[in-house]
Amino acid sequence: MLFFTAMPGVTVSFRTVGKRFGPRRVLTSVSGELRPGQVLVVAGPNGAGKSTLLNILAGTLRQSRGSVEHLGETGPIERARWFHHLGVAAPDMAMYDELTALENLRFFARVRGVDSSPARLEQALESVGLARRDFTKPLGTFSSGMKQRVKLAQAVLHRPAVLLLDEPSSNLDAAGHDVVAGLVRSNKAGTAVAVATNDPREVAWGDAQIDLIL
Amino acid sequence: MAVLAKELTAELRGRVALNAVGLFGLTTLIAVAYQIGPYRIADADRPHLLAALLWIILYFAAASGLPRVFVKEEDARTAKTLRLAARPGAVFTGKFLFNVILLAALEAFLVPLYCALMSYGIAGIGPFTLLLACGAVALAATSTIVAAIISRATGSGTLFAILSVPLVLPLLVFLIQGTRAASASAGLAEVLPALRAVTSLAGVTLVTSAFIFPVVWHE
Repeated sequence: MLFFTAMPGVTVSFRTVGKRFGPRRVLTSVSGELRPGQVLVVAGPNGAGKSTLLNILAGTLRQSRGSVEHLGETGPIERARWFHHLGVAAPDMAMYDELTALENLRFFARVRGVDSSPARLEQALESVGLARRDFTKPLGTFSSGMKQRVKLAQAVLHRPAVLLLDEPSSNLDAAGHDVVAGLVRSNKAGTAVAVATNDPREVAWGDAQIDLIL
Repeated sequence: MAVLAKELTAELRGRVALNAVGLFGLTTLIAVAYQIGPYRIADADRPHLLAALLWIILYFAAASGLPRVFVKEEDARTAKTLRLAARPGAVFTGKFLFNVILLAALEAFLVPLYCALMSYGIAGIGPFTLLLACGAVALAATSTIVAAIISRATGSGTLFAILSVPLVLPLLVFLIQGTRAASASAGLAEVLPALRAVTSLAGVTLVTSAFIFPVVWHE
């Protein structure tokens, strides 16, 4: 398992966040705080807006109302720097099928400007339970569970201060679920973690919880 | 350079864009050569028509492959992963350089074939090569930023044509003028006005893209 020293603490504070897609209201008014060292579980039935809330917190979707602040130790983090502090694994994100697992991680390490040495990348893949023989196979030949593991490795590769996991155990077997649990545990120190889930086992990880309703 | 290396590796393994532009270009060229050929154009019209036909073939072949750099990221759902990881400047530079290489490869493949099939003589090989290089840079710059703008829209292929035509049209006019001049004269002086115009358009497009791409990419 990878034990990371995360970037300096970052808090994500959100107040009365609402989101509409045309006439359809997805989030009404959600408030909360994502603090370093805590796991915030976002629970609720399908369509309640769990992924939407995580996308808003990530800054990849603009809220229709309310405010979201990304606060570092010295004040608000500017948008251009925010993504350096953020790690995300979500169902609407994919890795490159043409590249191998190692090449994918090397690419994301390079564009993020972090250590891309083979030893480091192999350690990251091992930490998510990917077999060594699969490191050099193209992702296009992987099962969805194996792809999910590589996606999780990518999300924590740069030791983010904020980790957003949307349905992190989707497509994973029981061993994979244990990997995610270990990943959340090991990254919790100093990292603000949010998990959007319906899985009661994942809900149990939470230090705080937001229950969204339809 | 990481984005460029990723694009090249993925393309060499999948060859989707290469096959698209190569096959489109070859099919168009063969159709033109078969129907028109070197002898069905009056001598007086040859410099104008052959220069225009060359750039029409090159542009439409390129248009079938260049927008893929961003459209494929959206289709494969890798765009969000890339958006969260890479600086916008690194993404645009990598994608732009990939399109330049793709266009250069297309030109290297199609132009000699076109000259052979259409009996198109170029007096100024040096200035013509320079014009092809500047044309590749300018067309790649325009195509890359337009591809970024349309990539998240439905019907992106149609939108690409609609948005890129007004930007590419003046560029094509200067490229055709320069090609006509290079075919008639060996000197650089005759091609220089067109070269200046193409370089200026490429420069303006690149500078504008550097400012608008971060907004296009993240919004």
